[in-house]
Amino acid sequence: MELRHQVIVIGGGPAGLNAAKYAANAGCNVALLDSAPRLGGQYWRHTGIESDDQSRHHNFDQGSLLMDAIIANPRITIYPNTTIWSASVINGEVVLRYKDGAFITSRLILATGAYDRSLPFPGWDIPGVMTAGAAQSLLKGSGVIAGKRIVVAGSGPFLLPVAAGLSSHGGKVVGLIEAAGKFAWLPEILSLLQNPAKISEGLGYLLTLRKAKVEMRFKQAVISAHADSDGLLESITVANIDAEFHITSTYSINCDVAAIGWGFTPDTSMAGALGLKEEVAADGSVVVAVDENQRASSAHSELHIFAAGEITGIGGSALSLAEGAIAGLAAADSRTNLRDLKKIRRKARRFALTLQRVYPIALGWKSWLTPETIICRCEEVTHAAIQSAFTELDADDARSAKLMTRCGMGMCQGRICSRNVADLLDSPDADRIKGVYRPIISPITLGELAQDGLL
Amino acid sequence: MNSNPDAIIIGAGIVGATTALSLTNAGMKVLVIDRGNVATGTTSAGEGNILVSDKAPGPELDLALRSRDAWFEIQEDIGGGFELEAKGGLVVARSEDGLRSLRTLTAAQRIAGIDAQDISITELRALEPHLSHSITDGAFYPQDAQCQPMLAAAHILRATKARGGKFVSGANVTAITTNDGAVTGVVTSQGTFNAPVIVNATGTWAGQIAQLAGSALPIAPRRGFILVSAPTRKIIFHKVYDAEYVANVSSGDADLQSSAVVEGTQSGTILIGASRERVGFQDGIDFEILRILARQAIALFPILADIQLLRAYRGFRPYAPDHLPVIGEDPIFKGFWHNAGHEGAGIGLAPASAQLICDGIFDRPSFMNPTPFAPARFAKAAAS
Ligand SMILES: Cc1cc2nc3c(=O)[nH]c(=O)nc-3n(C[C@H](O)[C@H](O)[C@H](O)COP(=O)(O)OP(=O)(O)OC[C@H]3O[C@@H](n4cnc5c(N)ncnc54)[C@H](O)[C@@H]3O)c2cc1C
Ligand SMILES: Cc1cc2nc3c(=O)[nH]c(=O)nc-3n(C[C@H](O)[C@H](O)[C@H](O)COP(=O)(O)OP(=O)(O)OC[C@H]3O[C@@H](n4cnc5c(N)ncnc54)[C@H](O)[C@@H]3O)c2cc1C
Repeated sequence: MELRHQVIVIGGGPAGLNAAKYAANAGCNVALLDSAPRLGGQYWRHTGIESDDQSRHHNFDQGSLLMDAIIANPRITIYPNTTIWSASVINGEVVLRYKDGAFITSRLILATGAYDRSLPFPGWDIPGVMTAGAAQSLLKGSGVIAGKRIVVAGSGPFLLPVAAGLSSHGGKVVGLIEAAGKFAWLPEILSLLQNPAKISEGLGYLLTLRKAKVEMRFKQAVISAHADSDGLLESITVANIDAEFHITSTYSINCDVAAIGWGFTPDTSMAGALGLKEEVAADGSVVVAVDENQRASSAHSELHIFAAGEITGIGGSALSLAEGAIAGLAAADSRTNLRDLKKIRRKARRFALTLQRVYPIALGWKSWLTPETIICRCEEVTHAAIQSAFTELDADDARSAKLMTRCGMGMCQGRICSRNVADLLDSPDADRIKGVYRPIISPITLGELAQDGLL
Repeated sequence: MNSNPDAIIIGAGIVGATTALSLTNAGMKVLVIDRGNVATGTTSAGEGNILVSDKAPGPELDLALRSRDAWFEIQEDIGGGFELEAKGGLVVARSEDGLRSLRTLTAAQRIAGIDAQDISITELRALEPHLSHSITDGAFYPQDAQCQPMLAAAHILRATKARGGKFVSGANVTAITTNDGAVTGVVTSQGTFNAPVIVNATGTWAGQIAQLAGSALPIAPRRGFILVSAPTRKIIFHKVYDAEYVANVSSGDADLQSSAVVEGTQSGTILIGASRERVGFQDGIDFEILRILARQAIALFPILADIQLLRAYRGFRPYAPDHLPVIGEDPIFKGFWHNAGHEGAGIGLAPASAQLICDGIFDRPSFMNPTPFAPARFAKAAAS
C-alpha cells in the first residue's frame, strides 16, 4: 500500500504531536506515525488503565488536551503501531517503509525522540540493574514497581520524577544517588530562576521524596553491581567521586533494583538513513543539525525535512513542544506566531544548556571499568577486547572497533554502546558524526521484506 | 643511513595485508600505506568465504586451491584470531537443467583436484535439515572455508608489524614517482616515501593508482548487497547456494544478477549475499535487490521467513573485464606490481595471490604459471 500525505510526522511525543497540530492548523493534510499503539511518546506514556493515566503524571492534562485535539482534527490521520523500518529518497520524495507498504511525502518532520543513556560498569548487565527510564516506563506503562529495595542513581533532573514516582506509588527507594554536587545548581541560580515552572516541578518532587524519607546522596555514583547465587542483583558498590568522576572511596548498599540514568541519547537513526547532517552538541551527544526553522540539512535540497524534539538536542518536553510547533509551521510554510514560538524555544534551549552545565557527565567513568566489563551487551564485547583491538589491530576509530570486535553489531545496532565506545577511543567529533549508512532502521522479518507491494 | 623500506604496499585490505606478510616473511622490510585504516575498503564488506566450489577449472581455480591451503598456513604462522573454519559448502540444484550443469561442473572440478561430492537427498537433509523440501539434489564441497576478513587483515598486519613491517594509516596516495621507467616512491597526504618496489593493492581503486604512475588498469566496481539477520539459534550449518550462482559469478552482464548465498556465522547471525551489478560507485540502496535476495533465501530455507533482518550493507567488488585478478608487474614501469581486481573472491584468493607477487618480485618460480593474471594482458587486448 502506498500512502501519500502533504506532511508526514514521525513520532507521537511532545515534538511530533505539536508539529502535527501546527501543520494541520496551517491547512496541511498531515499523517502522524508512531510505532507505539497510542500517542504520547516517552513523556505522556499511557498506562493500560485509562483512569490511571493522570495520577501517574503531573503534566498529563496538557498532554491529554493536545492528544484530544489531534484525534479530533480532521486534517490529521493517525497511524499507530506503525514502525518505519527504512527511509530513503527516491525521485525527489521521501519514501518511508512500514511492514505493509510505504508512506510518501516531500515534507517530513522527524520527531523520533531519545533513549536512555547508560554508562557501563562491572555488573551493569545483572538482572535488576536497569535504566531509570525503564523503571519509569514500567511504572507509567504497566503500573509495575520494579523492585522491593530500589536505588535510583545517575545524574540529572530526570532522576527526581523517577524516584518520586516510584516512592509515591508505594515503592521503597533506599537511596537517590546523584553524581553532581548538592549545590551544583548554585552558580546557575539566575538562569534557573527564569523557569519558575520547572523549579516548582522540581521542588514538588523533592517534597515527595522528603515525605517518603528517600535519602539523597551527592557526588556519588554506582560503580559496580553484584549478583546473588541466582544471578539476580543483590548489592551495589557506590563510590564518592570527584568532579572528573574519579573514585575517592566506596561503600555498598543492598538492593534488588538499581535504576540508573545518565541522561539521554538522541535517536538519530532515521535521520542517519536519510543522510541528514549531524553534529555533536554541547553535552557530547550526536544530534540532527537544524536551522532557525528546524529544517534539517539534506543533500536533496528540493525536500523539506525538519527535525524537532530530543533528536536535535536533549532539552525536555517544553523545548520539544516549541520545536515541534516551529517545525509544523515551517513545513506548512506558515509564519503565524512564529516569533513568539521562537522566543519560547530560545528560553527553553537556554534552560536545557543550564541543566547540562549543572549535571555534566565526566569521562572519569572510564576508570570504573575492569578488563572484563562488558561494553557492548548485545555482542558481549569486553573492555579488554576493545582495548586490544585498539593496541594490536589499529582499531582506533569506532568503525574499526566495531569491525574488529563486533561491538555495536548486535540487536540494538550500537544504540547503547556507540557513544561509550567513542568516548573510550577518545574519538574526535568528526568520527562521531561520520554516520555509517544504515538502511534498516528497525528490524523486519525476511518474510515481510520478501512481500510484494513494497517499493 | 637508509631507512627506506624495500617495498611499499598501497592498500591495507586483505590483499595488501597478505602481500605485506609474504614479503616480510621472505625477508623484505615493508611499509603498508592506506588512506583509511586497516580493512576499511571492500574487505570490510566481504563475507569471508574461501571457496573452491564456485570456480570452473582454469587458472582461477588453481589459484583458489592453493590459496585455500595457504589460509590454514597463515593461521599456523601467525596464530589465527580470525575465525577460520572449514565449514564446507553445499550447492543445490533447483531444476533439471541446474542439476545437469551442476553434475557436469563437479565432474570437471574433481579432475582439477577439488573434493566435489555429488550427494543424495538423504545426505542433503542430514547436512541442512531446514532446506526446502522442493530441493532434492546437490553437491558438497568439504574444502570450502570461511574467515572473518576484517579480523584476518588486521591480524595479518599485526603479525607483519611484529616482524618489522610498518603501517601508516590515513595517508592518501596522490602521486607515484618514477625515474627512467622504474618506480621510486609515493607521495601521500602524510609525506613522501621511497622504495624500489611498489605494490598496488588498492582493489576497486587500483585503476586510479595505476594512472598516478602513468600506467592503466581496467578495474571497475561491481556492486553487491548483503543482508544480515539478527542472531538466532543455529539453523544453517554450511554455506549454501543455488547452482545458478556459479553462472552469475562469471557473467559479463552489467545488469543485476542475484542468487542467494546463505550461511550461518560463528556469531549466530545469518548472512545472505550477494547481488552483483555494475552500476559504478552508486550509493544508496535498492530495495528491490534486498527483496529479491530475501525471496531467494526463503526459497532455499523457508524457515528464514520468520527471521529478523537487522542490517543490509553494500560493497564494490573490484573486477576486471575478463573476471581474472591482476597479479604481476606493470608492463610499463619496473618495480611497480599490481595485486588487485579479485572481484568477489579477494578474501579467498589473497594468500596465494600474495605468494605469486612475492615469487615474482624475487624472480623465482611459483606454484603456478602467473601469466594468465599478468597486467600486460590488457595492453595486448587494447593493441590487437
Ligand atoms: C523513559 C523517559 C522518561 C521521561 N520522563 C520525563 C519526565 O518525567 N519529565 C520530563 O520533563 N521529561 C521526561 N523525559 C524527557 C521527555 O520525555 C522528552 O523531553 C520528550 O518526550 C521528548 O519529546 P520528543 O517528541 O522529542 O520524543 P519522544 O517523546 O521520545 O517521542 C518519540 C516517538 O517517536 C516514535 N518513533 C521513534 N522511532 C520511530 C520509528 N522508526 N517509527 C515510528 N515511530 C518511531 C517513538 O515510538 C516515540 O513515541 C523522559 C524521557 C524518557 C526517555
Ligand atoms: C558484498 C560483497 C561480498 C563479498 N564476499 C566475498 C567472499 O565471501 N569471499 C571472498 O573471497 N571475497 C568476497 N568479496 C570480495 C572481496 O571483498 C574483495 O575481493 C576483496 O576484499 C578485495 O580486497 P583488496 O584488499 O583488494 O581491496 P580493499 O579491501 O578494497 O583494499 C584496498 C585498500 O586500498 C586503499 N586505497 C585505495 N586508494 C588509495 C589511495 N589513493 N591511497 C591509499 N590507499 C588507498 C583503500 O582505502 C582500501 O583499504 C565480496 C565483496 C562484496 C562487495
